[in-house]
Amino acid sequence: MSVIDANDIRNARERRKRNIALALMLTGFVVLFYLMTMVRLGGHVVDWFD
Amino acid sequence: MASAETYLADRPIATVGDFFALLKPRVMSLVIFTGLAGIIVAPGHIYPLTAFSALLCIAIAAGASGALNMAYESDIDAKMTRTASRPIPAGHIARTDALVFGWLLAGASVAMMALFTNMLAAGLLAFTIFFYVGVYTLWLKRRTAQNIVIGGLSGALPPAIGWAAVTGHLALAPLVLVLITFLWTPPHFWALALFRSDDYARAGVPMMPVVAGKPSTRRQIMAYALALFPVGLAPSFIGLGGPLYLAVSAAFGVVFVGCAILVLREKDDAREPAARRLFAVSIAYLFALFAGLIAERMLGIAPLHLLGAWS
Repeated sequence: MSVIDANDIRNARERRKRNIALALMLTGFVVLFYLMTMVRLGGHVVDWFD
Repeated sequence: MASAETYLADRPIATVGDFFALLKPRVMSLVIFTGLAGIIVAPGHIYPLTAFSALLCIAIAAGASGALNMAYESDIDAKMTRTASRPIPAGHIARTDALVFGWLLAGASVAMMALFTNMLAAGLLAFTIFFYVGVYTLWLKRRTAQNIVIGGLSGALPPAIGWAAVTGHLALAPLVLVLITFLWTPPHFWALALFRSDDYARAGVPMMPVVAGKPSTRRQIMAYALALFPVGLAPSFIGLGGPLYLAVSAAFGVVFVGCAILVLREKDDAREPAARRLFAVSIAYLFALFAGLIAERMLGIAPLHLLGAWS
């Protein structure tokens, strides 16, 4: 295996980890914005679920 | 063409850990903790999710400030032993990437704070980022030995941001918490600068021991430690803290001043053991004080009825 091949494999692995981290972060923000919209809505919407 | 491919392949791409390191997680943890204290001790009701979101915004803003600081100071970091292995000087992340990452997070944190809490908290958060990046990093850091004294304001503001997120206004009580961290910053960083003075001198950063010398720095650390002691006790006299806080702040205050005295008497200029001890104690001091405030509020023993005009 050449040096370039080894680096390619390592870079692909790191890129995949970065993509997963980014996906998790974006999903987290979507969920947070959804929940915060419920909290911020008028009429105490969030209290309906108590 | 082949050589360009070889260059690209040889250069490791930035990992998730590299981007995380850009956020200065250790500094961020202290900022999160003091911000949490501001949220918890503030009078009034806040939904737990809103409190979490406010804290997340403070954390992201602190991380953004750290990333921008590392980007704008990458030339200094490369010259210092302590910081040479940071992602930018180590060649793991391009400076431009760090700048984009930092400004993106900074903008997002302020916008989210405005959407999730109120404009005052968002404004204070934006001011904190501006002060850390614009005033401290770009202006003061390379120009004056008072850099961390004035720049310390940005690190001191999170309790006020947390308070504003809950109440929508500012009061004297959170400003006392700001004053504690503000007075704590010089002895904390000058203790570090004492045992890293060669590093700072090599990088051309005018830290106090480099500019005014070690004896003067030791005296100034002592002065700030003495000024910090009564201010550290103050929350107990305005109703923010009770007997538990008073005991914790008095005990840690005595230890802090004791360590400052040892720094003042230090003869070992090469290893600076007293300064290393003060640096560690100073971190414990700030954590203990804010933990005391949080604990009293959680246990319901904080004498809030005494807050009166301070809140």
